[in-house]
Amino acid sequence: MGKYILKRLGYMLVVTLILTLLMYLVYNLIPVNRAENEYKETMKSNKAAAAWSEEEKADFKKELYSKYGMDGNIFIRYLRWMGLYPYSGYSRITHEYNPTFNGLLQGNIGYSYKEAKPVFDVLKEPMKNSIFINIFATIAALAITIPLGIFCARKKGSKRDTLIQIGTIVGYSLPGFIIAILFIFLFAATLGWFPVSGMKTLNMVYTSKLQEFGDLMYHLALPLIAMTFMSLGSMTRYVRASMIEALSMDCIRTARAKGVKEKTVVYSHAFRNALIPIVTIVIGWFLGIFSGSIMIENIFGLNGIGRTYIIALQGNDFETALALQMFYVFISLIGNLITDIVYGFVDPRIRVNK
Amino acid sequence: MEQKQKKKGIFSTLGRWFRRTFFGASKEYEDINVEEIVSPSKQVVRNFFSRKIAVFALIMVILMFLLAFVAPAFVPLDLNYTEILQQNLAPGFKMMSVPDELAEDIKTISSYSHFSVGLSNAGKVYVWGDTKLRAAGYDMADIPEEVQNNKILFAAAGFDHAVAIDENGNVYGWGNNRLGQYPGTIYSDPQANVNELIPDAKVDIDNVKSLQCGYQSTAILMKDGTAICFGNSNGCLNMQMINRYENITDLTYTANYIVALLDDGSIAVGNLKGIYDTVNGDPNLKLSRYVGKRTITSVASTSATIAMLVVDEKADAAATTDAEHAAARELIFSGSFSYGENKPPVLAADEYFVQIEGGANHYTGLTNKGNIYAWGSNHLNQLNIAEGAKGADRLIVTSFQNYAVDKENHLQAKWGLKGYIFGTDGKGADVFARCVHGGKMTMTIGAVAVIVSSIIAIIIGCVSGYAGGWVDLLLMRITEIFASIPFLPFAMILSAVLIRTSLTENQKIFIIMLILGVLSWTGLAKMIRAQILAEREKEFVTAAKAIGVRERRIAFKHILPNVMSVILVDLTLEFATCLLTESSLSYLGFGVQYPRPTWGNMLDAANDANVIKNYWWQWAFPALLLSVCTISINIIGDNLRDVLDPKSDRDK
Repeated sequence: MGKYILKRLGYMLVVTLILTLLMYLVYNLIPVNRAENEYKETMKSNKAAAAWSEEEKADFKKELYSKYGMDGNIFIRYLRWMGLYPYSGYSRITHEYNPTFNGLLQGNIGYSYKEAKPVFDVLKEPMKNSIFINIFATIAALAITIPLGIFCARKKGSKRDTLIQIGTIVGYSLPGFIIAILFIFLFAATLGWFPVSGMKTLNMVYTSKLQEFGDLMYHLALPLIAMTFMSLGSMTRYVRASMIEALSMDCIRTARAKGVKEKTVVYSHAFRNALIPIVTIVIGWFLGIFSGSIMIENIFGLNGIGRTYIIALQGNDFETALALQMFYVFISLIGNLITDIVYGFVDPRIRVNK
Repeated sequence: MEQKQKKKGIFSTLGRWFRRTFFGASKEYEDINVEEIVSPSKQVVRNFFSRKIAVFALIMVILMFLLAFVAPAFVPLDLNYTEILQQNLAPGFKMMSVPDELAEDIKTISSYSHFSVGLSNAGKVYVWGDTKLRAAGYDMADIPEEVQNNKILFAAAGFDHAVAIDENGNVYGWGNNRLGQYPGTIYSDPQANVNELIPDAKVDIDNVKSLQCGYQSTAILMKDGTAICFGNSNGCLNMQMINRYENITDLTYTANYIVALLDDGSIAVGNLKGIYDTVNGDPNLKLSRYVGKRTITSVASTSATIAMLVVDEKADAAATTDAEHAAARELIFSGSFSYGENKPPVLAADEYFVQIEGGANHYTGLTNKGNIYAWGSNHLNQLNIAEGAKGADRLIVTSFQNYAVDKENHLQAKWGLKGYIFGTDGKGADVFARCVHGGKMTMTIGAVAVIVSSIIAIIIGCVSGYAGGWVDLLLMRITEIFASIPFLPFAMILSAVLIRTSLTENQKIFIIMLILGVLSWTGLAKMIRAQILAEREKEFVTAAKAIGVRERRIAFKHILPNVMSVILVDLTLEFATCLLTESSLSYLGFGVQYPRPTWGNMLDAANDANVIKNYWWQWAFPALLLSVCTISINIIGDNLRDVLDPKSDRDK
């Protein structure tokens, strides 16, 4: 098992390297040269700088290129960004190089020039919100789908099951944003139960933490309901399918034959067997909804990473967008890894084969 | 079978005996069916069609395809079309429904935007059309009681208000008056203050010649040649200038100006510069010089053009025949022409226009022979002259509708814009037309993406599954890399990069198709590989190998057909997914861009809470079409899987 996990980790490392390179290359399709921009800007605005000799200008340019890590080809820039290759650290005062590593591996995920602060600070608040939203939506979805899926599996082929099956097809065929729009139309715009968008009431001064939390939940209620609703379709189908599989196992027949109570058979024997695929899917799905919540955050105007990502992409804040893109890649890789390892535990054949 | 026989009553038994007695027993064995042997594919088709839901879904999908690929040929769509007068209209066909009572006794009909105000000779006011002003929160159908109870002599409809004058000279208005469109407003434009211009909301009724309304402004023309214009001076730029004239004989509104016809046979548009000072769009022909000593006897206007009937009065007075009259007249135009407003039909030598009326983007003219001609924009059927219109006594042309009225003031014929089946969007474009063309775009993108992804998946899956070894390992690692790319974020960044390039719109759309295809093949490839791993151990492959069939042929000709069912099901489901992804991307603003419609970017409008609440038709119809499409496709896919896989049938 250890060998298998190591092997998977190795694969993951390679895939990470390739993917980060790929992402970096894609980002560099957008021609942004901050060093050149700042050079031109300084020459335009600073009269003293404009009067420098050609040599001084070249020196200044060199320093800027070194500061932004723009000296060197794309692969060197990529390695710098990863933290595997030093910034040259040229100084025009001392004319000396002072190579330093300052990349992902050193914990520097970038500096947002648009927001004028480190990307880490830009993402802190949205990340908190997104994680909260996603965890909450996952728990709510599981609390509904697992009982529903088990029910369908037990009554499979019955009228109620067929009805729920059609419902779930509708559920997973509908794009999430249409469900969200419908919900806003019904519950926010028409009935007025919930606010249409935003995360807090404007100009509100909170007297207590509890009130603040209450206001937050009031604003998050509709997005969370919509998100839960969106995931019902596919999750119920997963649970139902794995429960049906578990219920048709021989051990279940044996348990029934020896007179174990039906409840015990279903919830103890069968559900435990069905749990493994469910857990795997839930992990993958939980990580997947980080990118799925882009839509929800955009529609409801929530300050999450998805919305930050959209704003960054639209507003040319590429450092933030790149960092977030990496986060999504990383999350999806971890999801794959966990799925693989869990499958490895469950099914020994996989370990041996690969 | 058994149940059927039980139900047969005594009569059928007797009948059978009878038949047996006289015709022999041969027919009796008809219903003992020998189970028919059918080929597997036939069986699949039969099973599929035995499922009601599947058949229903199939019909829906076929309908959607017809809508997306056949209907665009019949529903034209002009991508650059915007019509400020038709923004955000609800579905409905009431815009030309003249009330029956009014149709018997028409005095005037007036309409500037999407509602019409009609006035009968009896003095009663009628309102019809899309009467709700959703942005401002008024309903034009709520006619004030004073207007309903008094005898009205003049009534006119503007962009978002209507004005009526009763027999005592009281001026009433209803609708939006936040910019001083009618008396009784608190705010008033300092340049044309309604409360100063008509104190006590009363005018000398004996002196009133006509009443007109335009874009948030009102003009009352007096018989003594003065005019009272008030309202929004940013909507109607030359109001104060018109208020200073004392020799006006007629007024007409363009989108931003009032055009006054003066009694000396010239026209006044404020200081008459720019586009209105040229003739027929030729910048070298100055209007005053071109008209010369002739006089302009009547004017009509569309949003951006003026039509003028120029008459050489001496020649006209001396004329005895129609041909000579016709020769003395000329129809000229000024302004900026986007829809061919300056190209009237060529008339016969002895025919000339006696009445010209302008709509929003078209002109309709009545000749001395009673013929009616129309030219200009036909976007909203304004030019499709109704059959019974010939021989009309006078024409009433509103922005988008035309009414031919006979001598007894009866409505003789009407043609023009009735309404919109799916309403209009924020730019005034027909949502139905955009839905139809958007469907074409969405489906095309979905289909191409699926084809691209399945081609990649089939090649990689087949090669990987059949070859095995290091090829398999390598291909599977590549698959893994692609599978690890988070779909939506990556597609978004690619589109963001794409938007900044200088590619044409079509190339961008093509690349979006490729992106969708290239990012979504991994699942199918893995599935095909697994299937092929199972298939290649079977006897027929061994047999093929034994008789020396080439490897490639075995992979693609012998094994692939056996995997076809998996591919088919996945293709269907993948198509629905691609439709969804395209719409999600477009919805977020990273796919196809406005004005090109797709179902997704039509929903983009719903990013605005105001649109979600007040203009539901703008998002509900594309959302409905998209949902019906994806749900039906998924149902078909699901049923196909069940039908193709006999085992899963038993499972259910």
